[in-house]
Amino acid sequence: MSKHDSPTDDPTTAGPTPDSTGKTGAIDINDLSKIYDPEGERVVAVEGMDLDVEAEEFVALLGPSGCGKSTVMECIAGYLEPTDGEVLVDGNTISEPDPKRGVVFQENRLFPWKTIKENVEFGPRMHKGVEEGRAESILDEMGLDGFEASYPSGLSGGMQQRAELARLLANDPAIMLMDEPFSALDALTKEIMQKKLLEVWERDNRTVLFITHDVEEAILLADRVVIMTARPGQVKDVIDVDIERPRDPEVVTTDRFTELRERALSVIREEAQRALEQEEGG
Amino acid sequence: MDSRRRLVRAGSILAVPILWLVASRFGILPGLPTPVEVLDAYVGELYREDFWISTIRSTIRVLSSFAIAAAVAIPLGLLIGRYTVFADLTFPALEMLRPIPPIAWIPFTILVLPAAELSIMFITFLGAFFPILLNTIQGARGVEVEYSRAAQSLGATSYQTFRHVIYPSALPAIHAGMIVGMGLAWVNLIAAEMVAGGTGLGFLTWSAYTSGSYPTIIVGIITIGLLGAASSALVRLLGDWQIDWAKEQPA
Repeated sequence: MSKHDSPTDDPTTAGPTPDSTGKTGAIDINDLSKIYDPEGERVVAVEGMDLDVEAEEFVALLGPSGCGKSTVMECIAGYLEPTDGEVLVDGNTISEPDPKRGVVFQENRLFPWKTIKENVEFGPRMHKGVEEGRAESILDEMGLDGFEASYPSGLSGGMQQRAELARLLANDPAIMLMDEPFSALDALTKEIMQKKLLEVWERDNRTVLFITHDVEEAILLADRVVIMTARPGQVKDVIDVDIERPRDPEVVTTDRFTELRERALSVIREEAQRALEQEEGG
Repeated sequence: MDSRRRLVRAGSILAVPILWLVASRFGILPGLPTPVEVLDAYVGELYREDFWISTIRSTIRVLSSFAIAAAVAIPLGLLIGRYTVFADLTFPALEMLRPIPPIAWIPFTILVLPAAELSIMFITFLGAFFPILLNTIQGARGVEVEYSRAAQSLGATSYQTFRHVIYPSALPAIHAGMIVGMGLAWVNLIAAEMVAGGTGLGFLTWSAYTSGSYPTIIVGIITIGLLGAASSALVRLLGDWQIDWAKEQPA
């Protein structure tokens, strides 16, 4: 299997490496286009998008619904083949899904037929590229001890999302692709999850591409907020979030946060309006 | 289940002998033996070796044919459900064979197969095979793409994805097919035994008819009904045990 050929898949160097020379997880999106059903109805989801995400950077992809955010993520994950352009990870073209690029889906995708422990251990068991026992410490860290033997359906929404994050972390990916992972949670649970994610990211420094339509969430979490246009999606604006880390959800009350939010909102408002008009026009 | 539902369900089962008693008592169906006559005959049969051999033979035929049907239909259905090329190669032919009534196979199989036993087992196999196959295909096609994507992104190979995602995800549909298949296995078995003869509950019931022993006919019918219900219960139990994850609800 070709995915075991790359040097970063070697168990001894898998995942983010602490020394500065060995940083992995850079994403280069070059002139990416994705057209669904090119022979039929032709839906241009993404057109000529360029974006570079540095290794260990936290980037939020923000845009109106239907702007092709998820399509971009699916191209990076290796689920979709670009119609045009390319996506490179650490200089290599993506050809298929890889455990180096972990994905958290909008709707919880824990395997309902496996217990929480089996879910979290799934990655390490499949490709054996991660040290044994990692899953257990992560279950503890995510506050899932005592629920190892439960099935996902027996857990609350917040717990399920925590378990899904645990499953991803147990696999030690260099890149975390997160597609609106907290959008279905209530406000309080969402804040807890954001805090947890910041904590984990600030410690491990993986690359994160976080898709959201929530402006505050994007600014709270990310180093850079990339705002996409309405369909066909491309980069409209990039906002550097110069709020110092470690951050916690209380930064939303600071003046700098308010400033950044207003800036992002003014950009996105325009696009949201356009997206709405597109929908009304069919 | 609350006690009220239990009571209603018990009533459903009790209604059958009561209606039967009324029907035989008032001569609504002339020739229908009374429950007492049948009970007598049943006790008599329980002491006959032939009855037990027939019962055991039929049960073994059903269980073994069913097991073979499941062992063939489940992998085949998963492959047809997931691989278009495989589906195109096999499914049209199977769809042509499916509508042929099982009884229509009997003369042909008796002629072609070396033993009547094999013929009976083949007919029984057909009863279980198609419902399990069709449900497995449907189950395999119904797997949400995000589950296989999640597995791939966690490092699973295509075989591992098949084993840990496609198969378990299709299990509820497979079991629905198995319950239907078990019922049809009995239907086909009894028909085959009546025609092919030799041993079995179908043969026992048919020879009771030819010898005019009405109570024994009903003894055969009741025994078939009881064994049919017991084997369905067995399949259900197997399903509940294998698919325990589908039942757990948030506390």
